[in-house]
Amino acid sequence: MESLNFVEKKVIRVGAEAVIKEAFWKNHRIIVKHRVPKRYREESIDLRVRKSRTIHEAKMLIHLSENGIPVPLVYFIDPVECVIYMQYIEGLELRNHPGAVERAKRLGNIVGEMHGLDVCHGDLTLANIIADENQGVWVVDFGLSGFNADLEEKAIDVHLLERSAASTFPTQTKKFFENFLKSYSETTGRDAAKEVLEKVKEIRSRGRYVAR
Amino acid sequence: MVTVLGIESTAHTFGVGIVNSQGKILANVMKIYKPSVGGIHPREASQHHAAKAAEAVAEAFQTAGIKPSDIDAVAFSQGPGMGPCLRTGATVARTLSLALRKPLIGVNHGVAHIEIGKLVTNCGDPVVLYVAGGNTMVVALVEKKYRILGETLDIAAGNCLDAFGISAGIGPMPAAEIYAKQGSKIYDIPYRVNGMDVSFSGLLTASEKLLKSGVPLGDVCLSLTETVYSMLTEVTERALAMTAKSSLLLVGGLARSKRLCEMLNTMCVDRGASLHVVPDQYAGDNGAMIAWTGLLMYGCKQFINVDESFVKPRMRVDEVEVCWSP
Repeated sequence: MESLNFVEKKVIRVGAEAVIKEAFWKNHRIIVKHRVPKRYREESIDLRVRKSRTIHEAKMLIHLSENGIPVPLVYFIDPVECVIYMQYIEGLELRNHPGAVERAKRLGNIVGEMHGLDVCHGDLTLANIIADENQGVWVVDFGLSGFNADLEEKAIDVHLLERSAASTFPTQTKKFFENFLKSYSETTGRDAAKEVLEKVKEIRSRGRYVAR
Repeated sequence: MVTVLGIESTAHTFGVGIVNSQGKILANVMKIYKPSVGGIHPREASQHHAAKAAEAVAEAFQTAGIKPSDIDAVAFSQGPGMGPCLRTGATVARTLSLALRKPLIGVNHGVAHIEIGKLVTNCGDPVVLYVAGGNTMVVALVEKKYRILGETLDIAAGNCLDAFGISAGIGPMPAAEIYAKQGSKIYDIPYRVNGMDVSFSGLLTASEKLLKSGVPLGDVCLSLTETVYSMLTEVTERALAMTAKSSLLLVGGLARSKRLCEMLNTMCVDRGASLHVVPDQYAGDNGAMIAWTGLLMYGCKQFINVDESFVKPRMRVDEVEVCWSP
């Protein structure tokens, strides 16, 4: 990959499995997501897991881009080093954005469309949603996403989003979630949205998925 | 000074422990049912417990050097566990409570594993990995409850390793880990991590198939144990990252696994976290952990009436109000 001349700039986030860096390619700002080796895992298992997840995430991003969902475009994949090079999304994480409540409307459409494709995000928190300067909303980090999502997985997305909003701006959660649900059910249809919400209630009653 | 007697009987172990409010374990008697063939048979295990109960209780008082009337409360494992086994322990506890006129305390078995680990390791406020024959979960204390951050979606990690060992004819753990030392090649078997949840049943089936297809036992054991432990370590690391805690406590029967400890330790070193492992004698099911948790509950008067002291075979750790947490 040396010939592609990536110039790595700074580390943006260090997660449990990947390091996210900002980099440049021909003066073009990009994101580099590197699933780093884990010393605790035996080498062959480690490589198999990192490689399959890298390919899975890249496939998912490409699938969603092709279907018009605002996610980062994939530029390159390095399945040997387990790296995805992708579009840098200019903007603010929704958890730090003053207009988050308003953007929930757009977010509802996007998540609705994604669920309409039977894709679940798997970690839909406000840290993984970016608001840009043109009223747009982008969804990032599909490391835990899944194809062929069932009702439960879609409901977990919605539940996680609500939990995340509640812990980020407790006083505006209600309005945020109302805005989200209105456009979500416009996109998915009322019956589908109702089904998901019923499941969310059930998940909530189990008292899991906390402290994010 | 408060002294509590605790009775453990969720599965193969009938245990009686006596602990005082200084955190001193005065007695920890264990009578373990060993099936002649296969896994634990709930009825046979409960019959074993019933037969050994009186002897175990007497032995505990003798070891502790106290009289029955010296205790302040009787605690028992209320769940989760095998119904017949739980009922035997509960019956013994109710009898003692009524005869001695001491309050009765229903203890959650999982919470007890965690609390004894905290008592003996001095680990602060950790993320807890609780792995045993019947349970697999990653929990952390948030707002006075042990919240389940991740858990198995099907069978427990210990159950997977035991079941494989039994079907391969080498018996339950630690057999699979011992035979793994003879292995040299790792085969691809399903690695199922979903966020912080894990799933082991597919990997058990795959291992059994590998063995049938003629792969050497050592290689299958190596593939199985390495995969199971890697999955556990991964979800634990995720929980540490999410909660931003820097201390990890490993409890439950699988805490005896050297290789699991080694992997968790490597992960913790790389993250700058500290690993605390419950010592072997308190890793498996035991009465001391029930007594100690009973003692903590005694402090906030979480008593239970005898006529309401039903066992709860499917009780979850997040049902318990951790009233004793600061």
